[in-house]
Parts: sequence; structure tokens; C-alpha cells
Amino acid sequence: MDSGFSLALQGRPPVDFDWILRNLSGDIIPAFLEHLYLSLVPVAVALAISLPLGILAHRHRVIYPPVTAVAGVLYTIPSLAFFVMLIPIMGIGQAPVLVALTAYSLLVLIRNVVTGLDSVPAETQDAARGMGLTDRQILFGVELPLALPVIVAGIRISTVTAVGIATIADFVGGGGLGSLIFDGIGQQFLTAILVGSLLAVAIAVSADLGLTWLEGRLRPWARRAGGAA
Amino acid sequence: MIEFREVSKVYAGSGEPVVKDLSFEVPEGEICVLVGPSGCGKTTTMRMINRLVELTSGDILLGGDSVTKISATRLRREIGYAIQGIGLFPHRTIVDNIGTVPRLLGWDRGRVRMRADELLDLVGLEPGQYRDRYPAELSGGQQQRVGVARAMAADPPVMLMDEPFGAVDPITRTRLQDEFLRIQQGINKTIVFVTHDIDEAIKMGDRIAILEAGGVLAQYDTPGKVLSEPASEFVASFVGADRVLKHLSLVRVGDVELDPANGDAGSLPRLGEDVSLRDALSELIGAGAERALVISGGDEVRGEITLDGIRQLNRRSGG
Ligand SMILES: Nc1ncnc2c1ncn2[C@@H]1O[C@H](COP(=O)(O)OP(=O)(O)O)[C@@H](O)[C@H]1O
Ligand SMILES: [Mg+2]
Repeated sequence: MDSGFSLALQGRPPVDFDWILRNLSGDIIPAFLEHLYLSLVPVAVALAISLPLGILAHRHRVIYPPVTAVAGVLYTIPSLAFFVMLIPIMGIGQAPVLVALTAYSLLVLIRNVVTGLDSVPAETQDAARGMGLTDRQILFGVELPLALPVIVAGIRISTVTAVGIATIADFVGGGGLGSLIFDGIGQQFLTAILVGSLLAVAIAVSADLGLTWLEGRLRPWARRAGGAA
Repeated sequence: MIEFREVSKVYAGSGEPVVKDLSFEVPEGEICVLVGPSGCGKTTTMRMINRLVELTSGDILLGGDSVTKISATRLRREIGYAIQGIGLFPHRTIVDNIGTVPRLLGWDRGRVRMRADELLDLVGLEPGQYRDRYPAELSGGQQQRVGVARAMAADPPVMLMDEPFGAVDPITRTRLQDEFLRIQQGINKTIVFVTHDIDEAIKMGDRIAILEAGGVLAQYDTPGKVLSEPASEFVASFVGADRVLKHLSLVRVGDVELDPANGDAGSLPRLGEDVSLRDALSELIGAGAERALVISGGDEVRGEITLDGIRQLNRRSGG
């Protein structure tokens, strides 16, 4: 490691609480909100694309392999390379980050939508049709509710991934908590690094816990099962 | 009530019909059992009635109207359907499962709840204990009861039941069969019932349609006739070598003409009048007796049944 950096840290208090208070509303909170925006908006947009696409791929199986192939290629592009590749098209700033993170989320979300819909037992679907539910009623009343926990699991994985990747958004001028981290590294200022990293971890962990909790809530029938007579 | 007119079905992509020139009528209020070896087209035949499978040629009339002229969803809401393998909605409570079709028909919550409670009572599940559970919290036998209750929910005049008691152990199955026959006495639905089990067919059916491989109707008759006059080698072997005994099991001792009881009755075996001829035969052979007393109510002797009498009864009905 850079020995100058570690030396520079000595002699100062490890965490400068004054700095945190002074920059809370000016830098830290805006960076935090920007980070939320950078990571959550792409997941939401990707979900809006993946839901109809996944439903379509579930119904018409032939389109599933090509869809996952495209999403899979996008998924393998290294993040920084992806951001930079988009700069000629959209310039620097948030745009390349939002687009790249949306593209990354597609694979997991589409897969989970299709897997979730596939997990609906054939006989359940058959019973639904046999009782006179329309295709629409089967989709919204039977298939999606049963698939929802798996879909939410996909949202959880995508969100945690996006929160992590968004920390390098500032390399292309995208801002977010990465700006605190990179500034801290540049100025050899530990407090900024810690604040930026810990907040990013906090977002990721709370998204993970919150969505895990939601998955359980959406599966009351499984939660209570086990009391079978 | 339900009339099949030269119905055939060829699934797309295969040249061979799985159901061929099927013609028969199910009278109103009767249970018609479709029975035959696995893959002979029973499920296909049943599913053409509510158009889960579209027929290839011929026609099926429901109360005089061709099913092909009625919208599929409307048709299905008017026909109760209990599927092979239960098919309850895992994410809906028992009351919501039972209420599926009533809700589609626009019933309010209160009415659905009352109906569900009524049906749970009917199929022998305590409503207070079961209505708010999820299917996974019920045993297989209980789920099948709910499946039957759900099929009856909107009080459809016609019900289709595809091996509805297939997923349970033999003892539970017998109990469900008995309960269902008791229920049917009060509601008189027109029912098409699929099974691969000839004993279940004989027990449940007012009429039995026996299908051969290729979906050909081998015989359509009452259980008694199928057992006493099998129409072909295939039917005879399908109903089994014990068809005479099966036939005897359909008749209660109390329903046949008895000989008057005479003298020295003390040592004779005594049979209740609800005992089947088959069980009577077994008792007689077991006791090494030629005749037995038939008892009605508590103690009243109705008459005697003899080995010879049983033999003659069987001969007279053509067995
Ligand atoms: N959807 C389908 N597409 C093609 N063939 C089918 C389909 N459903 C059933 N079959 C075929 O039709 C035949 C009859 O099936 P089925 O009606 O389910 O018989 P059963 O209920 O008597 O066991 C079988 O050979 C089966 O493989
Ligand atoms: Mg079948």
C-alpha cells in the first residue's frame, strides 16, 4: 500500500466528526440521495422491462434463449468499461451509469420472472382455467402472486449489486457515495472514505434485509405451512 | 343432459385419434363413470366437455346446446371441475379457494363465506377450524375434500371429476367415496367421473363407460350389466375374473326375495339386511352353512338366504 497515505493518517483523530457535521447537508446527504437514485432507478426501470418480457418469454418459450443471451452478454461487460463505452453516446454524468446498471439488472430479473412463473404448478393453472378464469385473471390472480416471492428475490439481488457498482459512478462524473470515497482517497482523508463506504454498506444491507423480509411476507402460505393435519 | 355425438379427438402433431367416434348420453342427475386403462383418453374425453380440450369432430350437447357455441369461460363457470391431483391455489386460503367461481360470478364476501362454511360442513371439515388455513396446512385427503367442495361452490348442475380421490390412501378413499355418494343423494348433480379403477367405477357409477386404448367405447351400461353381460373379451378381462363376486357386492341381502325362515334357526349365521350378497356368500362359506338368517332392525327375522338362492340369483341375472 501507499505508505505516505498511511503516514498521513497518523496524528489526526481517526474520524473527524466535526467534518461530518459541517458537510452533512452540503455533501453527505446529497451524495447519499444521489446514490439511492443511481441504484434504485435502474432496478425499477429494469423491472418495468423484465416483467412484460419475462411474461412473454414464459408464454412463448422460443424467445427466452435469445433474450437471456442478450441480457447475459450485457451482464458480462465489466462495469467501468461499460460506463466508458457509453460516454461517446451520452456524455459523462449520471446517464451512462443509469443505463449500464439497468442493463446489468435485466438478466437476473428476467430469469427470476420466468423461473417464478414456471414454479406455478401445472395443475394449479389447469384448475384455474377449468374454473373459467380468463388468461388475464390467471396471470394477475394466480401466476404473478405465486411468482412474486421469486421476483422479489431477483429485485433484492439486483438492488444489492447496483448499490455496489454505483460506488464507482463518480469515475464518469455520476456522483453518489463514490464521490466521497474518491475525494477521501485523493485527499488522504479517512473520514470521508469511511462515511462514503459505510453509507453504501448500510444501503445494501438494509435493501437486502428489507427485501428478504418482504419475500417472506409475500409467502404466507409457506410461512404457516408445517401445521398440516 | 350431456350428449356425446360421434366425438373424436386428434391432438395436433399426431395422426392417431385418442378419442374415436364416441357417442353416449349421461342422463340428468346421474353419475357417469369413464373408466379404462391409463392413456385410453378418459381425461381427454372429460376435458372436451368444458373445452379445456377442443374436439376435432362430432359434437357435445349440454342441455341441448352445443358446447362449442358457448363462450369457454362462461361454460367453465357453469360446470364444476375437480381436477386430477387437486390443484388448489396454494396462495389462497380454503375459503378463498372454495369461493373462486362464486367471486367470478360476482357474489359478495358474506355470501361466499356462508357458502364455503356450508360446503366445508358438507364434506366433513369443521369450518371454524379450516376456512382460514392455506392448502399446505391440510392433509392430502382434506385437500381433496376441499377440491370437491370448490367444484360444487356455485351449485353447478354439472360436475366433472377427474380421479378426484386419486391422491389418498385406500381407507380415506373409501370414506370419501361413501361421503360423496351420500352428498349426491341430496343434490342430484349430473356428474362425469373419471377413474382407472374398475372397483371405484362400479361403486360410484349409475352408468359406466368403459374405454379401450384409442378412445373407443367398449361398453356403456349400468354396473350390473357391465358385470353380468360384458360386451367383449376386453371388458370381461378389464372388470376382472372376480366379476361375479363384484356383481354380488352390488346387491344387499335385504333387497332380494328371501325364503321363509323355518325351524331350528338357533345355530344359523345371522346377517343384517344391509350386508351385500358377496359378504353373505363369504359368511356362509366361512361358517360352513347352507343358509343364514336375515335380520332387520334390531331382532326381527326377515327370512333366510341360501347358497342355492344366491347361485340362482346370479344365474338369472345372466352371470
Ligand atoms: N395435450 C396433449 N397433446 C398431445 N397428446 C396428448 C395430450 N394430452 C393427452 N395426450 C395423449 O392422449 C392420450 C390419452 O390421454 P388422456 O386423455 O390423458 O388419457 P387417460 O386420462 O385415460 O389416462 C395419451 O396417449 C396421451 O399421451
Ligand atoms: Mg387421466
